[in-house]
Amino acid sequence: MLTLLSAKGGPRSLIHLPTSLLHLNIVIMPRGQKSKLRAREKRRQALEESQDLGLQRTTSTTTNAATVSYTRSNDGASNEEGPRSSQDPTATEPLHRSPLDEKVFILVYYLLYKYQMKEPITKADMLRNVIQNYRNHFHEILKRASDHLELIFGLDTRELDPYKHIYVLINKLEPNCDGRVSDGSSLPKSGLLMLVLGVIFMKDNCATEEQMWEVLNMMGIFAGRRHYIYGEPRKLLTQDLVKENYLEYRQVPNSNPPRYEFLWGPRAHAETSKMRVLEFVAKVHNTVPSAFPTWYEEALQDEEERARARAAARARTAAMASARSRAMAGVRSRATASSSSHP
Amino acid sequence: MVPSYMQGSTRRVGIMTDVHRRFLQLLMTHGVLEEWDVKRLQKHCYKVHDCNATVEKLEDFINNINSVLESLYIEIKKGVTEDDGRPIYALVNLATTSVSKMASDFAENELDLFRKALELIIDSETGFASSTNILNLVDQLKGKKMRKKEAEQVLQKFVQHKWLVEKEGEFTLHCRAILEMEQYIRETHPDAVKVCDLCHGLLIQGQSCETCGIKMHLPCVAKYFQSNSEPRCPHCNDYWPHEIPEVFDPEKEREAGISKSNKKPLRSRQH
Repeated sequence: MLTLLSAKGGPRSLIHLPTSLLHLNIVIMPRGQKSKLRAREKRRQALEESQDLGLQRTTSTTTNAATVSYTRSNDGASNEEGPRSSQDPTATEPLHRSPLDEKVFILVYYLLYKYQMKEPITKADMLRNVIQNYRNHFHEILKRASDHLELIFGLDTRELDPYKHIYVLINKLEPNCDGRVSDGSSLPKSGLLMLVLGVIFMKDNCATEEQMWEVLNMMGIFAGRRHYIYGEPRKLLTQDLVKENYLEYRQVPNSNPPRYEFLWGPRAHAETSKMRVLEFVAKVHNTVPSAFPTWYEEALQDEEERARARAAARARTAAMASARSRAMAGVRSRATASSSSHP
Repeated sequence: MVPSYMQGSTRRVGIMTDVHRRFLQLLMTHGVLEEWDVKRLQKHCYKVHDCNATVEKLEDFINNINSVLESLYIEIKKGVTEDDGRPIYALVNLATTSVSKMASDFAENELDLFRKALELIIDSETGFASSTNILNLVDQLKGKKMRKKEAEQVLQKFVQHKWLVEKEGEFTLHCRAILEMEQYIRETHPDAVKVCDLCHGLLIQGQSCETCGIKMHLPCVAKYFQSNSEPRCPHCNDYWPHEIPEVFDPEKEREAGISKSNKKPLRSRQH
């Protein structure tokens, strides 16, 4: 947990992962003296520590042929029809990828991943994890990646904070409702919600309206002023998110004139955790959760409680399952006993 | 600026509309979806973004999207769950074959924990690795030292993100992980990896012949031995000793209204 979101250090660069299938050739290791584990480890490292870009795609067609045949024969065993891989092994052109092209699609994956994780994207992260040696081409790479995201996924890349260089992906198609089918089980992409949950958490799990606006104002979000991404924030916080059970908005007890406070709603408790919210806040401040020791402690405790609850639930399920199978076994043996008595 | 996938290509490239984009977004958010949900998703996207259009046949719809995704080395891949043969779809990354999707969100020692778990799963007879065995390896992890308690939570995180599945204290690969990483797994473990004798796909869970040792996926067994009263090993012809599972039938499933968490037990064959 400690190193989950360390903004510094740790070779978590995407470049340490295979960016080209060419290196599969390096993977063939001589057998014999090498122990199985060491051979495996070397293979994995050869695949994963490749930094060589600008590679041709020719070799990859061989592997893709293999992939396609796996897919096809899988289809044969399951359903007759089925979408096959669009990688046609007979395609003749070796798509020559320039290093810049590779950076573009790696950035696309990175941005998509951040979008799915509902994490903000900082320029620093992009430079460190993806762009690396091509810093001078940052804007070009980002622009091309953004174009792909817009045209193919309908996602808009916007700079949320021009000073901290934080970017966010906005869903052009459904600006208010994201990632939900009918059984909506994911948080709206709005980073704003994570921020709000963070504020509440850091104010001892209950933030007054004044405290909330104080923080949001610092981020350039004002009640009554329509934000270009979030719309009108006050309605969002006090009505929309409350209706969706992400937030609780209630009067401070015995307050006269009435003042109001925010708490986490049941859906927030169900869909995220104190640790994840703390991670989000830490990320925005370009640091790690453990930099906030008190909150970090509380978040850790929350994680432990959740783990205990999960273990208890598992135990209950296992107990129910074995009780059920014992009951079934009883039924079956009685059935066989009764049937055998009727030759 | 004309996007590169429309430049100088003689291949037929599909047209993306908001219907396709919304479909991609939602598929991506879910990570992996069963075929029935995919069809519902497709209909939903048409309803919301182009209600007058005819809903294209799913296979063509997906092939269309895949032809556009090619330029990004991603595709929507179809597979089948190993335990009960449900058809599933996931958006997979073709250019990077390893744990790339996970890498942004996991520290070095966590990725290494996953690799260790993966090795145990591949080497096991059943395709499952016990929590205890995985946790016993925490001392060997690269990167920052991880305590067993932390490791337990990391394993849960893998489950949450659909890389692993847990059943009664044991872990195996989520069907999404198999779809995404099949190539990587085959390349990094060419000697240990198991393969289905029927479909030749990667095999994590399955049944094996006790005589000659060949293995088959449960859904492959179901289909191969369907309505065969005397199942025999396709390789050595010896009697096949295991229960033959049922072929997955989406219609039956829906009618019975069985929830996903409540899978039907294997039915024994009638003698």
